[in-house]
Amino acid sequence: MIWEIIIFERLVMKMILSSFFRAIFEYDFMLYALIAGIIVGILAPLIGSVVVIRRLSFIADTLSHFSLAGVCFGVFLSRLITIKGFDPALMGIVFSISGTFLIEKLRGFYKNYKELSMPIVMSFGVALSGLFINLSNNIDAKFTTSLLFGSIYSVSATNLIIILVIAVIIFIVIFTSYKKIVTLCFDETYAAVSGINVKSLQLLLTIILALVISLFIDIVGVLLIASLMIIPVAAAILVGDSFLNTVITSIIFSEFSLLTGFIISYNTNLTTGPVIILINILILAIVMSISKVKSRHHKTKEI
Amino acid sequence: MRVTVDNLTFAYTQKLVLNKVSFSLKSGDFLTIHGKNGTGKSTLIKCFLRLLNVPDGSIFLDDVDINHIKTFTNIGYVPQKTEFNYEFPITVFEILSCAYNKKRDAFYTSIINTFDLNKIYHENINNLSGGQIQRVFIARSLLNNPKLIILDEPTVGVDVDNVKTLHQILTDLKKQEITIILSSHDLDFCKDLTDYSLVLNDLGDYHFRKIGDENDS
Repeated sequence: MIWEIIIFERLVMKMILSSFFRAIFEYDFMLYALIAGIIVGILAPLIGSVVVIRRLSFIADTLSHFSLAGVCFGVFLSRLITIKGFDPALMGIVFSISGTFLIEKLRGFYKNYKELSMPIVMSFGVALSGLFINLSNNIDAKFTTSLLFGSIYSVSATNLIIILVIAVIIFIVIFTSYKKIVTLCFDETYAAVSGINVKSLQLLLTIILALVISLFIDIVGVLLIASLMIIPVAAAILVGDSFLNTVITSIIFSEFSLLTGFIISYNTNLTTGPVIILINILILAIVMSISKVKSRHHKTKEI
Repeated sequence: MRVTVDNLTFAYTQKLVLNKVSFSLKSGDFLTIHGKNGTGKSTLIKCFLRLLNVPDGSIFLDDVDINHIKTFTNIGYVPQKTEFNYEFPITVFEILSCAYNKKRDAFYTSIINTFDLNKIYHENINNLSGGQIQRVFIARSLLNNPKLIILDEPTVGVDVDNVKTLHQILTDLKKQEITIILSSHDLDFCKDLTDYSLVLNDLGDYHFRKIGDENDS
């Protein structure tokens, strides 16, 4: 009886996987979605690690909402005038980057309440998004849901090219400035003293963050962007024992959640973004319980 | 490295922290800064490292105004333990190799050996004791061949044995003609090495004197 159940389970798994992989090679949109997903799976925790160390999680959330305003503005523009090859996502990138400057500008107005700049920019972004959606013709609920929760299957060839170009730029920056970035993240004062131009490196990192955020809107949606960057890192911190292996572990968690999220959402017709994030949360919960058991075991040993 | 501070004045919104502070040090001099919390020890160090803009007065390193130095090259800095960003895993190897621009060479290895870091080289910094962390930070500060080392409260959270080791390390550095500026709560730490002492009081008052010299400035 047990054997029969196991064989049946394996058959079902085989069917699910084979139909998923067949679809990848049959449909372009599936292939685009998978490639975009794999790239995002590497980029999100890579940038997420910097975000977590430098305590920028709220900036990530703010920028994602401001970037949403850009995408909505892009949609509004595309309904108004036809520009060949214009992708609303490009406006998302423009808004996301200008959002970083806006946050910085607003911070200067307060001494003790610098974080006020973030809810201000976030509400400004949400309000603009609502306004542009309102002003654009023929926008249905499906479109707004895809902005909020993402729809990776809508990744077009143009989107994919933008994602690839930005990913390559980010990888080059990270590999050439790896040592400086690590030093800056962990100890800003030491970085300044050791000859690193802290201000320009900080600016570069914020622009990278803005770029990545605007890229992710299509994939997981504005509401879940910050979680895609932060949850795999939050889990990896609990198991990692060096910087490099923590970052690699977070990439493994992130890729695992993306791929299983894909397969599950493909077979169940559920929205991909939330499924991916829920798998990430599940991984985090498992890691947390294992590390709790481990630390308890360690304490008992010490006693 | 020669250090000259000329009429340095600094105030936070309403509170005057440093009031016309002036002193100078020769290469190899050892200055200890004392003072209660909030009297400006960290502010003075931040001014040295150009982390705070000095509105009034000047700081010269080897006769060059720090505002005219493009990037610092010969300054070693040992932060207060709390300044480092803990919890995210990073090993001693990663901290040191990221702070060193070149590949591992004889100089790098000699620093690792001097500070006895081989045993903890691949350890996560979060698992180390206060004394071990301090050794890592001092080793890191020496990687860019400093002529001036600034240490901010190096004895905080360090046990008695490691305070002794720290004292020995500073004795060796002084012999190499490196100028040392150290801020400390502990009035007795490095008393024997100190050439000059700077005591900061409330309201920006200060007291600078050469140790063993009765004539205060």
